Amino acid sequence: MFNFLPSFKPFETLFRYLSQYDFWSNFISFCSSFGGLNETMVFKMAQATDDTIYMVILSGIGGTIIGLPLGILLYCTRKGHILDSLFINGLLSFITNVFRSIPFIILIVWIIPFTYITMDLLTGTKTFLGKQAAIVPLSIGVAPLIARMIENALLDVPKGLIEAARSMGATPLQIIYKVLLPEALPVIINSMTITLITLTGYIAMAGAVGAGGLGQLAIQYGYQAYQPVIMNIVLIILIILIFIIQIIGNVIVKRVNHR
Amino acid sequence: MIKLENVSKIFYQNNQPVTALNNINLSVPVGQIFGVIGTSGAGKSTLIRCVNLLERPSSGKVIVDGVDLTALSNRKLTKIRHKISMIFQHFNLLSSRTVFENVAFPLELEHTPKKVIQSRVLELLELVGLSNKANVYPSNLSGGQKQRVAIARALASQPKVLLCDEATSALDPATTRSILDLLKDINRKLNLTILLITHEMDVVKKICDQVAVISQGQLVEQAAVGNMFSRPKTAISKEFIQSTLHLHIPEDYLQKLHPTPQPGTYPLLRLDFSGLTVDAPLLSQMTKQFNVENNIISAQMDYAGGVKFGVMLTEMIGDQNDINNAINFLTKHNTQVEVLGYV
Repeated sequence: MFNFLPSFKPFETLFRYLSQYDFWSNFISFCSSFGGLNETMVFKMAQATDDTIYMVILSGIGGTIIGLPLGILLYCTRKGHILDSLFINGLLSFITNVFRSIPFIILIVWIIPFTYITMDLLTGTKTFLGKQAAIVPLSIGVAPLIARMIENALLDVPKGLIEAARSMGATPLQIIYKVLLPEALPVIINSMTITLITLTGYIAMAGAVGAGGLGQLAIQYGYQAYQPVIMNIVLIILIILIFIIQIIGNVIVKRVNHR
Repeated sequence: MIKLENVSKIFYQNNQPVTALNNINLSVPVGQIFGVIGTSGAGKSTLIRCVNLLERPSSGKVIVDGVDLTALSNRKLTKIRHKISMIFQHFNLLSSRTVFENVAFPLELEHTPKKVIQSRVLELLELVGLSNKANVYPSNLSGGQKQRVAIARALASQPKVLLCDEATSALDPATTRSILDLLKDINRKLNLTILLITHEMDVVKKICDQVAVISQGQLVEQAAVGNMFSRPKTAISKEFIQSTLHLHIPEDYLQKLHPTPQPGTYPLLRLDFSGLTVDAPLLSQMTKQFNVENNIISAQMDYAGGVKFGVMLTEMIGDQNDINNAINFLTKHNTQVEVLGYV
């Protein structure tokens, strides 16, 4: 019933489309001159790239859904801030720290029962494997990081601005969405870029335990089947992916930064 | 319009109580510009923050336009703050918003319709002389322009009171003057009550009707500006007034100066004119009456709150007897005369 972005396969589609043309066979034979590469493998790589991007996007969104409010609350409940509460701050801070201390590879395994239940509830499939299921641990793993980054970005907003907004009769909610978030936006986008890059790393790890994606490809063929060419190509794809994320991030920051 | 009754504020630093404000009583009538002057750390920032309850006083009442703010719920307080605007030393403009959007900000908070915002903001930008900067971001403005935007923003919600927290302290003298002119202008045009705090007597001199001196959390003196300048009661007020007058005996005079009369020397006098001095051409009357001449070395006269005041260094040339009579004449007319020595 609940199937998010089911047919997200831009590269696979692109390659299928290109395979109609004559030059495709030349391309494949060129690829085959590297050890272990053939048409099936090229399509596997396209699929793995698609899966990785899919997981980056969805777990980025999932992590933000949890991390953004958490980060805002962590900031607002700090001592001397607009919703000052030692108890809530202590509690949230504790939870955040606990989840940040768990190494991601262990977190994935640790929350398998939770992943299982969540998948059952959201999609009706009882599984903890595959790219969809991986989004659950990925979101939870990255959320505390996002929360802390949001908190830091908000701490960067000059306190005078909040004071000014209060003096003009802004409610705490108005301060958050009209002052804090817009003012912190350039820093938030910068942190999100870092987060998405970290996430790409996490996804490679998730690949090792059955999430699919480029990580799984590299481990399966590169490490277990010992095909170093495959591993190296996967690495190059990952490098390109990360460069693209960084470049997009920089462009957006440049557009929204008016400081 | 603004009334503080027995306001005290105690901070706790490492569990040690620090008294920032001690039993402050203050009253600002409608339409007045009221200045509070004090050195840094005297508690003036805390005082102005207590007026809109950015800082909640530990005890006492804050009454603005007949409403006791300390008794209000947070919700009502938020609402009433629309009518108490504030401008700051460091402007506190939102960097993510253009000039137009900054001025629109307080209106957005009140959910004003877009059309009303549009016309009101343009009107305000006109008032502060920044119509051509509507779509510029604050980072591209000079300090004076930023403060003008802040003033426009403060006026957007049609406040009854404007609080100025060291509004000109980060600006150069020329810009300070233009901002003060603007404040005076809106004070007259809108009959806006202004409470400002500053550490510069020049600001008080230029626009205030009344002034209070704050020192170590207490108001030590409060008077109309003219009275304050004519008869300051406390040492600290005198110091502030002195700080606006810069007068030194020139180096070469200091070297020639004898403490006692010598043959062929004349007294070097320091004359203090205060508001009590009759408004008459004293010096020329004196020269006519007593056959003495003045060699003015340096002088600084100023005019504030309808009062002329200043200091003058002068060498008085004439017969010893005439000089004594002339000094008596000046003293009789409330000019303080001090014989600094003989040159």
